[in-house]
Amino acid sequence: MTEKKTDNKTDRFLNLFKALVVIVAIAGLGFFIYNNSLKEGASSPFKLGLDLAGGSHLIYEADTSKIDPAEVKELMNTLRDVIEKRVNIFGVSEPIVQVEQGSFVSDANTQRLVVELPGVTDVSEAVAEIGKTPLLEFKLIDKQVVSSLTDSATSSELTAAFVDTGLTGRYLESASLEFSGAQGTLSNEPIVSIVFNNEGATLFEEITRDNVGENLAIFLDGEMISSPRINESISGGRAIISGGFTPEEAKSLATNLNFGALPVPIELASTQTIGASLGNEVLGKGVEAGMLGFILVVTFLLLWYRLPGAVAAVALVGYVVIMLALFLFIPVTLTAAGLAGFILSLGMAVDANVLVFERLKEEYKAGNDSLNSAREGFHRAWGAIRDGNITSLLSAIILFWFGTSIVKGFALVFGIGVIVSMFSALVITKTLLQALPVAKESDKTLLSRLYKSGL
Amino acid sequence: MFVIKFRKYFLALGAIIAVASLLIIFTLNLNLGIDFTGGALTEVTYEEKPDKAELETTIDTLSLGGYSLRESVSDTGQAGYILRTRDLSEAERTTVASVLTSSGTNGTITRYTSIGPVIGEELKQKAKWAIVAVVIMIILYVAFAFRRVSYPLGSWVYGGITIVSLIHDVLVPTAMMSLLGYFMGVEIDVLFVMAILAILGYSVNDTIVIFDRVRENLDLYRQEKKRKIKIEGDIQRETIEYTLTKPFNEIVGMSVSQTMTRSLNTSGTTLIALIALYFVGGAAVANFALVLIVGIIAGTFSSICLANPLLTYIAERKLKKTE
Repeated sequence: MTEKKTDNKTDRFLNLFKALVVIVAIAGLGFFIYNNSLKEGASSPFKLGLDLAGGSHLIYEADTSKIDPAEVKELMNTLRDVIEKRVNIFGVSEPIVQVEQGSFVSDANTQRLVVELPGVTDVSEAVAEIGKTPLLEFKLIDKQVVSSLTDSATSSELTAAFVDTGLTGRYLESASLEFSGAQGTLSNEPIVSIVFNNEGATLFEEITRDNVGENLAIFLDGEMISSPRINESISGGRAIISGGFTPEEAKSLATNLNFGALPVPIELASTQTIGASLGNEVLGKGVEAGMLGFILVVTFLLLWYRLPGAVAAVALVGYVVIMLALFLFIPVTLTAAGLAGFILSLGMAVDANVLVFERLKEEYKAGNDSLNSAREGFHRAWGAIRDGNITSLLSAIILFWFGTSIVKGFALVFGIGVIVSMFSALVITKTLLQALPVAKESDKTLLSRLYKSGL
Repeated sequence: MFVIKFRKYFLALGAIIAVASLLIIFTLNLNLGIDFTGGALTEVTYEEKPDKAELETTIDTLSLGGYSLRESVSDTGQAGYILRTRDLSEAERTTVASVLTSSGTNGTITRYTSIGPVIGEELKQKAKWAIVAVVIMIILYVAFAFRRVSYPLGSWVYGGITIVSLIHDVLVPTAMMSLLGYFMGVEIDVLFVMAILAILGYSVNDTIVIFDRVRENLDLYRQEKKRKIKIEGDIQRETIEYTLTKPFNEIVGMSVSQTMTRSLNTSGTTLIALIALYFVGGAAVANFALVLIVGIIAGTFSSICLANPLLTYIAERKLKKTE
């Protein structure tokens, strides 16, 4: 009997110690987040999405219909690098340029390029700058088709007259402005001299070798600017673009080509701009709503579940702190949808606690002491908590798979929320409940009443 | 338990709500926003906003086709307009922006969204597939979670009822959006799809918690009787017969009462958080919050007052048949 008592005492001490560790950990993590991210002038603030920080969101669709499917991925990556270089001209902090594929549920496997420019609210400037990226193509002329063309040829008939060679601006190494006068001709015309990379040089040599006597048309942004005759096989990977440029035109073309040329044609499919003040307002209101919701929920729990309610309140604070820490470490970019998901999951985080407390109450009423009731409560509530959370988690996964960035933001926060809410109920609530002083309903003391529920 | 006692009235009420919602949705249709249809939305705010009719005559000259111009108050409290048009080209966008900002005083474009028809169509497809995927997943999971329950009703009945109450829970907020769209021009956007998917998860959770209790109580009040039957060829087969020591109706009723506080408290706290979001969270998420509020109220009603009456009703029919 005496041994059992000391056992109980060590148990008790251990439980108290564990609870202390949990509370210190929550407080420490909370302080860390406040210090690093919430305080004014914090060193690593939360990442805010465009809808909260303001900025532009552009979606370009790439025309990959003429590209070998095996090469599409590499080409899209080249495209991304080229546009990224362009976007960096803006000096925007942390622009995002990424390749996105159309979903498998739609028929066409469209390739998209998503460009996010935080802080850029003048979308025309952004579109114009990206639009400066030249599309350079070299095409052979099919003489048979050309000779059959009439004056009233349609544009589709015209394009049929040109055969893609596979040589495009993606093989470009550098470009520079020159004057053809240097070569001794009279005109002294400004031209753009381009140098291909190794791959491009080989391709250029092959094309010129195999098509001596043909005309090689040079297309810029879909329009033919010149079609010189191929006199001989050209090695060394140098070519000249001449098309009656003014010196200014030739200069800007050379500059733009040096930033990189488009490997595939792109077209603007969607634009979204959010003013910075609107974004700030949305964020402020979202945070306000979250705090208000939190205070109301905690008040309700305290009034209804009393002592266990206080435990749930601490667990919820722990839940919020862990969530914020994860947002920082993963890191999660916060959007309006993400905030909504967070506030929604806050409501659901309460559910696990409520399920446990209801079972606890049943056991407590049946005459068990508070400690055993708590243990039994967790044991019995587990089935319902598990089933509910698994369905929520599966929904979150499907939502994440569902795709567009706004939905992903919501699903990610919601999914993390479900996992963290389980942790907060099963670890924080459990540890704290077990550290509380033990009472029985039949004691009829103030403490014993604190374990009951109802208003 | 009154819910079980008056089950016929509750079932009728649920059926009326579902049918009325369906009628509303089909007669008034859904007001799909540009997220799905493609198009452009331009929001402009002013220090002093121009007259609406005047602005409209200027916009008329731009030949944009059909458009709608609505007065708006932005989240920053500034008055302005929201212009909805078809998908605009870059040149058109520039003209529209300059027309809007040159009227009134200090006009600024605070929001501009343009969505091509392809992206809108794709989103519609994705939304459909996501909802189908969630529903299939739920049927499978519920059938799996209740696989050991076989008497008096098979596990698929629980799964089926979960889906029935889920359909009810989705119809009600959708009908509400249909009404809001018809009378107030509220549009359905991506956030609505997210809210519906969240409601799906919530509704199932709510129903499962009660069924979980039914499952537990069935175990408590069930007696097993094993019998050995000789069939041809001297093979002995063992069959298990179950009898309930308490009527099924009472077991269900008991389970509902035992989980009632939990259902109400969980819905209540979630609603508190959502109501805060609705009133304080700003215009961007107000409709999202409203859809969820209605969906959760519908979900609580259906899991208590529809799912369980339906369960006892089906059990009764089955028992009558076997007798």
